[in-house]
Amino acid sequence: MSLLPAPEVEAPISTFEGEGSRPAQSYWNESWQRLRDNRIGMAAGILILILAAISLAAPLFTQFVTHYEPYRLDLLATFQPPGHAHLLGTDELGRDTLTRLIYGGRVTLGVAFLTVGISLTLGTSVGLVTGYYGGWIDDILMRLVDVVLSIPAIFLFILMSILFRPNPVTLAMIIASVGWGGVARLVRGEVLSVKQRDFIMATRSIGARDVRLIVRHLLPNVLPVLIVAASLGVGQIILIEAALDFLGLGIQPPTASWGNMLTNAESYFFHSTWLVYFPGITIFITVLASNLFGNAIRDAFDPRLKTH
Amino acid sequence: MTEALLEVQDLHTVFATKAGNVKAVDGVSFEINPGETLGIVGESGSGKSVTALSVMRLQRPGKIISGKVMFKGRDLTKVSEGEMREIRGQDIAMIFQDPMTSMNPVFRTGWQVAEPVRLHHGWDKTRAMGVAVSMLGKVGIPSPASRARDYPHQFSGGMRQRAMIAMGLTTTPKVLIADEPTTALDVTIQAQILDLLRHVNRDFGTATILITHNLGVVAGMCERVVVMYAGRVVESGPTSDVFAHPKHPYTWALLRSIPRLDAERHEALKPIEGLPPDLIDLPSGCAFHPRCQFKVERCSRDVPVLNRVGETQLAACWVTQSGVELKGA
Repeated sequence: MSLLPAPEVEAPISTFEGEGSRPAQSYWNESWQRLRDNRIGMAAGILILILAAISLAAPLFTQFVTHYEPYRLDLLATFQPPGHAHLLGTDELGRDTLTRLIYGGRVTLGVAFLTVGISLTLGTSVGLVTGYYGGWIDDILMRLVDVVLSIPAIFLFILMSILFRPNPVTLAMIIASVGWGGVARLVRGEVLSVKQRDFIMATRSIGARDVRLIVRHLLPNVLPVLIVAASLGVGQIILIEAALDFLGLGIQPPTASWGNMLTNAESYFFHSTWLVYFPGITIFITVLASNLFGNAIRDAFDPRLKTH
Repeated sequence: MTEALLEVQDLHTVFATKAGNVKAVDGVSFEINPGETLGIVGESGSGKSVTALSVMRLQRPGKIISGKVMFKGRDLTKVSEGEMREIRGQDIAMIFQDPMTSMNPVFRTGWQVAEPVRLHHGWDKTRAMGVAVSMLGKVGIPSPASRARDYPHQFSGGMRQRAMIAMGLTTTPKVLIADEPTTALDVTIQAQILDLLRHVNRDFGTATILITHNLGVVAGMCERVVVMYAGRVVESGPTSDVFAHPKHPYTWALLRSIPRLDAERHEALKPIEGLPPDLIDLPSGCAFHPRCQFKVERCSRDVPVLNRVGETQLAACWVTQSGVELKGA
């Protein structure tokens, strides 16, 4: 094979931009840079990471910082206001509020991340398949999504909580059983637009299988949408989970969660306000942070949508 | 003449729509010999691209309803999807019209150029990347090793089309189908890409099917040409003969509608009157007869078949088949 002559016209172009004063910027690199420049978004993201780290390291934390165990009763120290012994006070059974908040975070954040994981996995698979193949598969699965999304979620949650006694895993599955529908729609829409582009046909023309096309070529192109959906989803799910716990349909006492700590606190609201404030504020801050972070992610991945 | 490398016989591809069946390809036949460059010309909607896609069996949602595509003794319309995948990208490669959208934006160019050999030869990343880089160099990408690490958006349109050609060539296919490879590029880049395709044809011995609506490109590139109108082949033959003595009124009119250097001064260009026909409801007889200035009574009644007219050409026209010369004001 002889060398094909390089056309002279393009040679100067190469010395100008090819030899690289500027390194190759991938989409991911650029997005990451935009995200890093968003100070509020980064602060929110870091806050979530810290909360997650504290929750993960809960046993260490309670041993060395609060010195209490989440389920140990101390009937001599009930309704202690925040102070030296108990940083955030104690509840009606003398359990340390901070310790319970940390353990509750384990449950609440765990459920939130697990739910996002399940609904993204399921929703993405369904969205990719329906969007790519269309036809009867699309009709059947998308009608199923319509059905799922048209059942009032709260009734579904109530029913399922009665049928399956909720622990963190089942609760995540219960919430995800509704959440995947929205993800499927989102992904399907994105796939419908991406698959019209020529590179899909070009990839088919080199003999790629459908699976390769979907996983290697379509999925990376819908990933930004997924990341945005995931980061915005965490906040929503924390709220849903807290609501279910509050109604007694979620995580059951004595296991602590931010939601069911509020349930208890409600009875003692006028008596010991800190029992309401601390879990409430924690939920508020976490949801706010995850929404801010989600928005930052969206701005970073899709600068056209930038709101400010 | 050697045995044809790829032979399309009476191919019919239809698209089912609410308004009716669109006969995008309506009985197309042609063949291409090893190492040859064949031009397929026709206006938009004449079925050029669908013919090419049907050869690759990528015509979805269209359906091939009859006809054969003979390649290496097999009928590609009949082989399994698995066998077809083996052929795509390995024996027959394709280049698309718009290089700006025919590369995946999320992968590095080298990765994409290397994809065919990884798929077909099962080569590992390093080995495939080596081939990709050397192929990028061969198609005229300067400093290919560092350019292979770039993303498609860092390439110009011309460079992307070069990369697409490199991608098609990594597996040294027998046939390269170029579907309007220069339409989306500006004129100077067009010339470079055509030059490249000519080199590819010569140096790799790759038979090239060049689909275009640009008669000038055909004249400069192709040994033989197939002229399509409304999903049918109306004329075919050696390019020089077809251009010098068109045997179908459509080709004749097409050639008169473009400027030529050897034309009489002050001679006005003559557009083809009328519009291309509706592919759902073709005119009876010859699809071109409503626009044809040579038509006779039979043209609106019987569909003309492609037959030898003159020494080297085939034409589907009752008028020229009866010996009438195409001349006119």
